[in-house]
Amino acid sequence: MTAPAPPRCRVNGRSVDLGDVPPGERLLDTLRWRLALKGTKEGCRTGSCGACTVLVDGKSALSCLTLTREIEGSAVTTIEGAPDDPEGARVRAAFEAVGALQCGYCTPGFVMALAGLLKERGRGGSFDELLEDLGGNLCRCTGYAAIVRAAASLRTEEAEP
Amino acid sequence: MTEFDLIVPSTPDEAVAVLHAHPPEEVAVLAGGTDLLFDLDGGRLRARHVVSLRRLPWRTLDWNGATLTIGSTLPLRAIENDPDVRARLPGLYTAVRAVGSVALRHRATLGGNLGRASPASDLVPMLLALDAEVELVGPSGERTVPVDRFVEASRKTALRPSELIRAVRIPEARPSAYLWQRVRPFHDISHMAVAVAFSPAGARWRVAVAGFPPRPILVPAAEAALGPAHPSDPDLERAAESIVREAPIVADRRASEEYRRRLVRPLLTRAVRACGEELR
Amino acid sequence: MTGPLRPDLAEKLAGAAGYGVDLDVPGMLWGALVLAPVAHGRLTGVDLAPARALPGVVAIGAEDLPRLLPGREGDRERPAFPTDTIVYRNQPVAAVAAPTLARAREAARAVTVHVEPLPAVVDVESRFPDWPGPEAAGRPEIAAHVRARHGDVEAAFRDAGTVVREIYRTASVHPVALEPHACVADVEGDRWHVRTSTQSPFGVREDVASILGLPESSIVVEGTWVGGGFGGKGASFVEPWALLLAKAAGRPVRLALTYREEFLLGRTTLPAVVRMETAVRDGRITARRVRLLLDVGTSLPGRDFTTGYSIGFLLGPYRTPVFEVEGYAVRTNKPPFGPHRAPFAPQCAFMVESHLEHVAREAGLDPLAFKADHLWQEGDTTPLGQPVLPFGLRTAFEAARGLAAEWRRSAPPGHGIGVGVGFWSTSTGAGGEARVTLTPEGIRIDQAERDIGSGSVLVGLAAVAERRSHLPRERIRVAYADTAHAPYDAGVFGSRTVGALGRAVDEALVEILGRLGARLAARGPVTLGVEDGEVVVRADGGSRPLRALVTPEEERAGGLTASGKHYGRSGVIDEHRVLDGTFYAYTDFTGAAHVAEVAVDRDTGSVRVVRYAAFHDVGTVIDPFTARAQVEGGVGMGIGTALTEEAIWSPEGRLVNPGLLDYRIPTLGEVPPIDVTFVEGFRGAGPFGAKGLGEPPIIPVPATIASAVRDAVGAHVTELPLNPERVTRALSRTNGTEQGP
Repeated sequence: MTAPAPPRCRVNGRSVDLGDVPPGERLLDTLRWRLALKGTKEGCRTGSCGACTVLVDGKSALSCLTLTREIEGSAVTTIEGAPDDPEGARVRAAFEAVGALQCGYCTPGFVMALAGLLKERGRGGSFDELLEDLGGNLCRCTGYAAIVRAAASLRTEEAEP
Repeated sequence: MTEFDLIVPSTPDEAVAVLHAHPPEEVAVLAGGTDLLFDLDGGRLRARHVVSLRRLPWRTLDWNGATLTIGSTLPLRAIENDPDVRARLPGLYTAVRAVGSVALRHRATLGGNLGRASPASDLVPMLLALDAEVELVGPSGERTVPVDRFVEASRKTALRPSELIRAVRIPEARPSAYLWQRVRPFHDISHMAVAVAFSPAGARWRVAVAGFPPRPILVPAAEAALGPAHPSDPDLERAAESIVREAPIVADRRASEEYRRRLVRPLLTRAVRACGEELR
Repeated sequence: MTGPLRPDLAEKLAGAAGYGVDLDVPGMLWGALVLAPVAHGRLTGVDLAPARALPGVVAIGAEDLPRLLPGREGDRERPAFPTDTIVYRNQPVAAVAAPTLARAREAARAVTVHVEPLPAVVDVESRFPDWPGPEAAGRPEIAAHVRARHGDVEAAFRDAGTVVREIYRTASVHPVALEPHACVADVEGDRWHVRTSTQSPFGVREDVASILGLPESSIVVEGTWVGGGFGGKGASFVEPWALLLAKAAGRPVRLALTYREEFLLGRTTLPAVVRMETAVRDGRITARRVRLLLDVGTSLPGRDFTTGYSIGFLLGPYRTPVFEVEGYAVRTNKPPFGPHRAPFAPQCAFMVESHLEHVAREAGLDPLAFKADHLWQEGDTTPLGQPVLPFGLRTAFEAARGLAAEWRRSAPPGHGIGVGVGFWSTSTGAGGEARVTLTPEGIRIDQAERDIGSGSVLVGLAAVAERRSHLPRERIRVAYADTAHAPYDAGVFGSRTVGALGRAVDEALVEILGRLGARLAARGPVTLGVEDGEVVVRADGGSRPLRALVTPEEERAGGLTASGKHYGRSGVIDEHRVLDGTFYAYTDFTGAAHVAEVAVDRDTGSVRVVRYAAFHDVGTVIDPFTARAQVEGGVGMGIGTALTEEAIWSPEGRLVNPGLLDYRIPTLGEVPPIDVTFVEGFRGAGPFGAKGLGEPPIIPVPATIASAVRDAVGAHVTELPLNPERVTRALSRTNGTEQGP
């Protein structure tokens, strides 16, 4: 009988050994302090602000409420990996084109949440529903206006065949 | 946060055995964790062993005719993304979307929501109105308990030691609606909610109210007042009155009792009318 | 314009911008605070031994201060740690540092705090149920008392055709910058160094010096990227504790608040009660009487400026020939009052706008016409006797009124249209300096501030330089340095960055252009441009490469350099009208008129803002993109003040809702599309006549929404926020009988 393989996950395409990660450690802390991926932000730490949103297997996840050991075998994409993700790259470009940020603290979470929604919904669904689905990401600077413009620009692009 | 070890059983039998092997006060069951982790963080829960259900084969959603069975570890987001749920159980669709955010619903599960028995649950009132049943597995075998008997009080369920929620069964597709009132429409706690469903098989209404402690409840007097499929305005009025009269509505820091009682009539009326459009 | 809309987009979108919370220094320890368990009590002991018994833990309290700061005495009124009395719940009484955050938290929990509880004063109204009398002004719990008066108030009220008396109440609001306060401190010898997320590096230096009793010259403050400020990061917060821990540990210490602590220790704008009385005769306001009871928590006596400042906002930008105002700042066992984007001005605007609308209705007048008749214009005098400078509020108001009439025609039943105004003054009184260097590559601006997100530093200062020099924006770089290297500036607050620091930049640039003009013997204006990739100097229709005009000394010095300063002067009030306390004059007059359409659910009291328009007097638009973004952001924030945000304390002084689930800032779903229009031509105190724009956009929002709610369903709500329960209560009072105009 061979020894069991150490638990691993992938972060931005890189394989990460989870063997040393304590059972109670949150994905947010693993990313920020173990892997030095500081782009993912800590906000409320209670799932109420969305600042820590990353993608786990292409779906948005609150890294503050996710035990790292629970995502064994999964692929994580953070804002640092967004350029290599088709939807992540599109959302980043849209944010840049309309200037959809001010202090930028909520931005990584917003970008990943929107990228996740684009993956999940494909070309379907209403714009109102898309906006409703972004309701878990708080921004205090922009009044959301520029973020909605960025989302709308992606939708226009999406509507094209 | 107290230190714990994480146990990840591969089969239901193994999971039950693991639970059985530890004193109940030392074990917490993780089925998503979006609520559990608060209590572990805050020290309100001091588990030495956390048993994760993620490897169990319960991430399922099965329609069998009009009956829907949802595995306890299926993320809530998968429920709302099922086109048949949206079409055939619109109240459940709305209630699921009332929970947290999309990212939270990618991790939170129906079993977790029931097992944690939060008094503010948006799902329990809808499951009550749908006459949902909870399928349990434990050391002495399997049993099925109606949601109404499963959720006993705030943070208290009928789960026996070493027992797990395997699935939730909704006996039939029903015209249904879930109406909530909040300070902030998106991403808030509902401080008053009404779930209604019309059972085609039973030719009767089910009405649950929620949003106040200790737990969501069914109000049979309101169901009787609503009568058959298309209640008249006076029927609706009587139903609302019976809720205001009979439901143990109380104040907490989120809303006063007076305001909550005031909300009964508009929420009930709108919920029943929303179902009425489907019944037509 | 070519290039990005903001120079920070790429870095922030890459997740590469380093905020205070991201600081990570080799060998650093993690700090945590020990918080007081009661709102008021006698501190009889802090037992740090159990924390110190844990491996690697450093713990400090008040008794360690003499050892850590030998021969130094800090400000006795605001010690780093309390020595005998706890004055608010969760007041930090000790601090710990450890190799891991988990260990630090464990250590903080291990500390025992011995307190004999004392009765806490939490609610100002129960402290002064019959309103404070004249004898109250000298009491220790009165942090400030202000009173002013002009004319025969009693006669005006006696002779009035209509007198309206009302009481208003407003809730406590929190800035909620998403990044909590965070810093890393490091002490080597007598060099006290802190990197921190702040709106004011020099302000932190000044505070730290005062609290710890250190000379400013031994303190170096370096700013990081700032994850939102909104006033909450304008003064020191975590830095003194972090520095003390670093001193005690001999290692760098990171101290960041948890988000829960951000609320528990939070500097919020606290609740207020206002009594308003207005006398009207023949359609004109003949007199006003305003009395304010402002909760300032544990703010120190003499440090409260809000009371005197806000009294002016409670009179509003309206012609008021006769008045009497009086304000009490009352100390309570809550955390100190803190600034919050135009501190307390949105609440004042809500109260005065709602009141005057009510006055007009009671007097049988059209509220908007009544307000238009009274709005200040240049040439008027404020109640405190200051002449009104160029002011575009009347122009903005008439535009808003026109749009409101248009929207009203298409509004469905249950919808209402509201108009509200707010006024403000750019705070240019706080000084600033900047150094400008011109090289053949372009312009570099050296100054002290990090951009807090508004763009006022990175975009605003560059736009001022662009406008003055005509050099394209991509050739202008705004640099920053720590307080040991940068010229002094007061901070990014008070809507002052472009207005004050921008003038310093402009002054330096004007000097450089003047020098170049002299070398060219130019008759007309001198500007800059780029030809063949190099900066050229243009004058009198010709252009010369800058390289050809630079002296050898300047070349050796790295370019042409000049420094600019701006220490603005405020206007003057008539001191004869002041009877007690300090009132303030305005540097310039800025204001806005907003229009909202709301849908109100009569049965549930829910208010949804359907669409929104903002007309702002900004003097001169310096950068259209960031100007619009400021208005959108301010309106979004104001919707929270108007509808959902409220920090709630229990009678024992415990904050009931210390988190983002129950302290509800707007989500994307509550903020409608916002149309933004700028009114230009009424010149302010800033460069090119610009007026500040950071704070004004939030000010009219609660007033505007309240007016729209009243228009929709007749609910006259006299408390903020207008949450659904309050709206239904107001509806029950009016019984739904009132109709919109």
